[in-house]
Amino acid sequence: MPDYFTAIGTALSGSFLQDGALWALRNIPGFPPIIQTVHILGISVVMGSIVLLDLRILGLAVPSQNMSEMTRRVMPWLWWALASNLVSGGFFLFGRPNRYFNNPVFGWKVSFLIPAILLTAAFYFLSRRQENYWELNSKRKWTAKGIALLSLGLWIMVAMAGRWIAYAEYLYFPA
Amino acid sequence: MDFLNSPRWIDVENWPISWEIGGTSWFPFLESIHVIAATFVVGSILMVDLRLMGLAAVRYKISTLSKELLPWTWGAFVVAIITGLGMFITRAASHVVNPAFQWKVVLLLLAGINMAYFHFQVYKNIARWDTETVTPTQLKMIGSLSLFLWAGVMLAGRWVGHII
Repeated sequence: MPDYFTAIGTALSGSFLQDGALWALRNIPGFPPIIQTVHILGISVVMGSIVLLDLRILGLAVPSQNMSEMTRRVMPWLWWALASNLVSGGFFLFGRPNRYFNNPVFGWKVSFLIPAILLTAAFYFLSRRQENYWELNSKRKWTAKGIALLSLGLWIMVAMAGRWIAYAEYLYFPA
Repeated sequence: MDFLNSPRWIDVENWPISWEIGGTSWFPFLESIHVIAATFVVGSILMVDLRLMGLAAVRYKISTLSKELLPWTWGAFVVAIITGLGMFITRAASHVVNPAFQWKVVLLLLAGINMAYFHFQVYKNIARWDTETVTPTQLKMIGSLSLFLWAGVMLAGRWVGHII
């Protein structure tokens, strides 16, 4: 793990953020599974927004839905889901910062998540420049398909890595 | 109940495949596929439910959305069932008496009944409000009940791991 990354964990240790997160996790009955479920429901919205949109762009799903209309419609849902997941994930991250910032699988998750968000944002803001921006010529159509394929892979890997954070020992200390 | 405390559940845990899954990376692998499949089930249903409630995608016909999304929902559901069974057999005897697991099964059945009611009863008359933005109360109820039940399935599913 890079030093600046583990340093974030060290900096957060013992901070008021950790105190607050640990207080909530320990004292609110059922809080850990409930907040994990909120996090998973956020991932469901990611699946129902950007992942379905990627499948639409690749020509695999919901052919009746108009691409630019669908983009405009699902994006706000994605941003809200990501904001929600930042908060729900924050409880665990701040609760045990060293567990995450020393875990290479969490590092992977971040390194999938940041490009996924940037790629999705770039796709979205370009689509707002012009009506049917991604369908105006064949070069743009193919660029959109390339972006969709990459985006699909990145978002799936974010979810996959997220789940494997808890299983890092399987990867680093195989039986 | 005898059925839940039957020693046969322990036999299931002792199947060679149960040992293979439980003792190797197969378990986390199945679990991550299970989570991705389950979130896809809920994500694809969400779009239909929000349409039923008149909250999103109102320019599309309910029947079109349902027809195009359902194969994806079912595909993901089958993946979730297979991966779920793969995990279930590694701890079968504990799962059947785990209240969270029992809730999950009940909520899944209720979600299934709600869905069947929509598809076999309500869907017959879908043409009447297929294009309507403001949907009748019955559709709003079915849509919100579906979201509520699926959120419950996810919560119960996540809680299984805290009890086992």
